[in-house]
Amino acid sequence: MDSASIYYLGVTLILFLVFAAIVARTYSRKYREKGEAPKFRMMDDDKPSDENKGGRDVRRK
Amino acid sequence: MNQQEGYADDIVKGFVIWSMVWGLVAVLVGVFISFQIAFPQLNFPPYLTYGRLRPIHTNAGIFGWGIGSFMAFFIYITQRLTRTSLWSPGLAKVQLWLFNVVIALAAVTLAMGMNRSKEYAELEWPVASLVVVLWVIFAVNIIMTIVKRREEQMYISLWYILATLVGVAVLYLVNNASIPVSLTKSYSAYAGANDANVQWWYGHNAVAMVLTTPPLAIFYYFLPKATGVPIYSHRMGVIAFWSLIFMYLWTGAHHLLWTPVPDWVQTLAMAFSVMLIAPSWAAVFNGYFSMNGQWHQMRENYLVKFLIFGITFYGMQTLQGPSQAVRTFSAFIHYTDWVPGHVHMGTLGWVSLVLFAAIYYTIPRIYHTEIYSVGLANVHFWLVLTGQLIFSITMWIAGVQQAAMLNATNPDGSLHYSFIETMVELYPYWHMRALGGVIYLAGLLVFLYNIYQTIAGAKTQAVAQRA
Repeated sequence: MDSASIYYLGVTLILFLVFAAIVARTYSRKYREKGEAPKFRMMDDDKPSDENKGGRDVRRK
Repeated sequence: MNQQEGYADDIVKGFVIWSMVWGLVAVLVGVFISFQIAFPQLNFPPYLTYGRLRPIHTNAGIFGWGIGSFMAFFIYITQRLTRTSLWSPGLAKVQLWLFNVVIALAAVTLAMGMNRSKEYAELEWPVASLVVVLWVIFAVNIIMTIVKRREEQMYISLWYILATLVGVAVLYLVNNASIPVSLTKSYSAYAGANDANVQWWYGHNAVAMVLTTPPLAIFYYFLPKATGVPIYSHRMGVIAFWSLIFMYLWTGAHHLLWTPVPDWVQTLAMAFSVMLIAPSWAAVFNGYFSMNGQWHQMRENYLVKFLIFGITFYGMQTLQGPSQAVRTFSAFIHYTDWVPGHVHMGTLGWVSLVLFAAIYYTIPRIYHTEIYSVGLANVHFWLVLTGQLIFSITMWIAGVQQAAMLNATNPDGSLHYSFIETMVELYPYWHMRALGGVIYLAGLLVFLYNIYQTIAGAKTQAVAQRA
């Protein structure tokens, strides 16, 4: 196996591990509620107000 | 800027209207070139020949209609999902002007025969450079709006929007690297198999980052808005997004099966293409599951009809695409009419149906009125659906027949049919293809009339209210 092949294999493994980490986090029990929250909040985004704004105000951080 | 909601919706109006204009140009030219195939005497050299009009058709369709609409809806969606106004409405106005200049220049230069001969990257370097400026302006404005957002968690549409902005930038810069020799001529910076590999890495990922991720962003936003019910699973959307992004960029070489490109590159492209069914169908299932308890809306809500048929065509497209990436099937259908049938199911069936729904939803809201006629919207739906199906199905049948004839051999191994014999057999299908195009065009005209009357009605209402 030459160095180029080892490099490609390494990159592939790293990408796979990153993807596995994303899957593990997204489907962890702890993240469940938070992960589904945006789909509810987007339903009322045509009428923005402080009450239904949700999340934190990133600008003021 | 729309002061009532604090969103810059005037620029959305501009992009929607101009994208519809370019969409009409794309379909008109498309119908004309379909007649040129059926009736070759309709070629009028040098400007009105199939060879020059065909890239104008694809550029007007993908970039004028597609990108124009995506720019409109990215601006519309991003503001609402971030609950903040556009970072720079002034920059967006510059973007609108530049967009139209670029598309007009593309049409003129391609008609004059200036062409880099790369699929979906035909524009010569001065126009291509303007595209880069245009994209940077667009990307900076959207990304800065997302940066100053008032929502911590990003809804799935925003992920697709970001992927589009970054993906197109990388693809376009790499594939368009070239050496200019005059104002109107340049040569690719790559050569031979490398050039082909880069070209199809770009060519297929233009399908990924222009014709897949933006319509998905729009679908995920407008389906729940149209039904009034949230999508089935946001987390499933996120996983489908990341797996699509991880896999798609490796698949371009499936256009280069049976070529001098290294075998491992071809195999890798084929394997990733087949794996791509999973994230694609995750989006399809997410759409279908979102309709649980809501299927009655298919009968009652015209927006849902456009969106669900759109995602269904996406599902069919993403089964057909990977199967075409398998070596044996690729060898059978490549270079036949099957391919335009496949492509038009994606552009007319998937991308355009979703865009029609988004325009129908958006226009009444940003003009503060009601749609002019739901009945006409339904007529529009059935016309474009019929036109698209006639087009695609006849091309699939033509493609299989053509492939069978091209592959038929005599016992001594010689070809059974000459090339011209296969062409003669295709004429009835080409007539049907032109008919499908005419029906689709009729549907588009109904759509444009409906939108025109909606906007005109809104303006009349506004004048009456002021009086």
